[in-house]
Amino acid sequence: MADATLSLRKRLWNPEARLAYILLAPTVIFLVAFMFYPIIYVFVMSLFRTNKLSDLTRFVGFANFVDRFQDHEFWMAALRSLIWTGSGVAVKFLMGMIIAVLLNVKYTGRKAARMAFIIPWASSVPISALLWQWVYHPEFGLLNHTLKITGLWTNPPGWLGAPLSAFIACMWVDIWVGIPFFALVFLAGMQAIPQELYESAYMDGAGGIRSFFSITLAGLRELILISTLLSAIWTFNDFNVIFILTRGGPANTTNILITSLYMNAFTDLRFDWAAVQSVVTFLILTIVSIIYARFYFKQENG
Amino acid sequence: MKWQNRARWLVIPLTIIILLFLLFPFFVMISTMLKSGPDTYATPPIWIPTHVEWSNFVTVWTQYDLASYFLASIIIAFGATVLNTLLCVPAAYAIARLRFVGRRVAMYLLLMIEMFSPVIVIISLFKVVARLGLLDSYVALIVLDALFTVAFNTWMMNGYFKTIPKDIEEAALIDGCTRVQTMTRIMLPIAVPGLVTVMIYAFIFAWNEFLFALTFISSKNKMPLTIALYNFVGRWTTQWQYLTMAAFLALIPVLVLFYIIEKRLVAGLAGGAVKG
Repeated sequence: MADATLSLRKRLWNPEARLAYILLAPTVIFLVAFMFYPIIYVFVMSLFRTNKLSDLTRFVGFANFVDRFQDHEFWMAALRSLIWTGSGVAVKFLMGMIIAVLLNVKYTGRKAARMAFIIPWASSVPISALLWQWVYHPEFGLLNHTLKITGLWTNPPGWLGAPLSAFIACMWVDIWVGIPFFALVFLAGMQAIPQELYESAYMDGAGGIRSFFSITLAGLRELILISTLLSAIWTFNDFNVIFILTRGGPANTTNILITSLYMNAFTDLRFDWAAVQSVVTFLILTIVSIIYARFYFKQENG
Repeated sequence: MKWQNRARWLVIPLTIIILLFLLFPFFVMISTMLKSGPDTYATPPIWIPTHVEWSNFVTVWTQYDLASYFLASIIIAFGATVLNTLLCVPAAYAIARLRFVGRRVAMYLLLMIEMFSPVIVIISLFKVVARLGLLDSYVALIVLDALFTVAFNTWMMNGYFKTIPKDIEEAALIDGCTRVQTMTRIMLPIAVPGLVTVMIYAFIFAWNEFLFALTFISSKNKMPLTIALYNFVGRWTTQWQYLTMAAFLALIPVLVLFYIIEKRLVAGLAGGAVKG
């Protein structure tokens, strides 16, 4: 290999590499200033006490971590993050799969249906969350009114007012935003599966359900993996829905890691606590992102 | 196929039921945005307004300063789009076409940064922005909005550049074009669909952005739509008929733009298994 025998200096500094570095430089500079430096700073901050202006006042080692890890609130937020992400992704996945199957059948108006299914994803999340707040309104909201007059639920909860129903209501909005992504990815994947496979399976006497599992799901395997990882990261990171609908309330019962981090910083002005949660969240996200990146490349190359 | 004919009778009603269910908030929005005050706050609530209040459309512009929020959103989103494009196109070209040490690392980093949550660094970003004297300025939002889509957009653009046959470029190089010339005169024109996707994505991201605007903007006349609408709620004057009207108007641009890029976006996110 000629590449290997080139001196390191030549490999680092030839006209082609030089141009690459110049082209990449602006992006790198911005990323360093507004992403890498802030991450490092969060790590540093987590080892210090801070004052209400977020200045570092005293080095305390891992005391902030110990503080946070002994706090019941922190573990509740972590648990909620887990439930939020786990069940959220599961429901998005299932609904997305059902919609994809429905959209994979040819009929007039299918294109229109497809466009309509995308709206929750295409719409702006903060604005959707505001709309849902009005939909959930206990007195004037049309959700409870409609549930009552149709007899679907004669005594619905006040949604955002009580702890459990508020958490479920928030979770639903996040799920609602995330369904179309799965639907579109699965649909695209299904359309790439050759029809002949189904035809020959039909000849061999395989029923609809058999061929769904052994042809459709098998064909979608890689897509399922990639899209689930991606959706898990987005779901875990969803700040807007909870912040807009409940601000983590009532009494912190809807806070997940990412929202309680923000409250720690900008409501309680405990920037050191927020830094600890940033570090924890960063580590979780990094692990999942590495898995995602690996599978993405494997799929691209394989 | 035969089964498809039979399936239709099941599929169409099911599709309609699920759509009614999923589009519920938008039906509520459309119902509310043309209601009068008393209709909006009727008990029990009503779906069909007793009369259609077209004047709501005028009121949101005249009494609620919607134009000022739209303008702020437009400035921020355009600024972010321009900056984002200027950053991601050269970077993507370098990754797609040039050999240099660290290329693989750069690709991995890009995919990982794509997943990065701005909330994690919001406390230190606050310090950075404050130190640069950019609190309560459009510049802060433009830079941050541009930056948090730069990874994904570089990735997408890289995908487009890669699909262009190398021969075209090599022929131009032999004819005496410089690298930069081949990029701007040959690669970019071919990659226009990709460029459009990337620019629209940056625009939508900035238009919808909430966290940075919430944290860094304090004066009313600089607030973009998302924050302005958020601030409408919870004040004693919340008038949902106006808020839903404003929400409707704020959604139109992003809905239209999203439909243009939707297919390419899915392909970019899900990788090689989906063709754009």
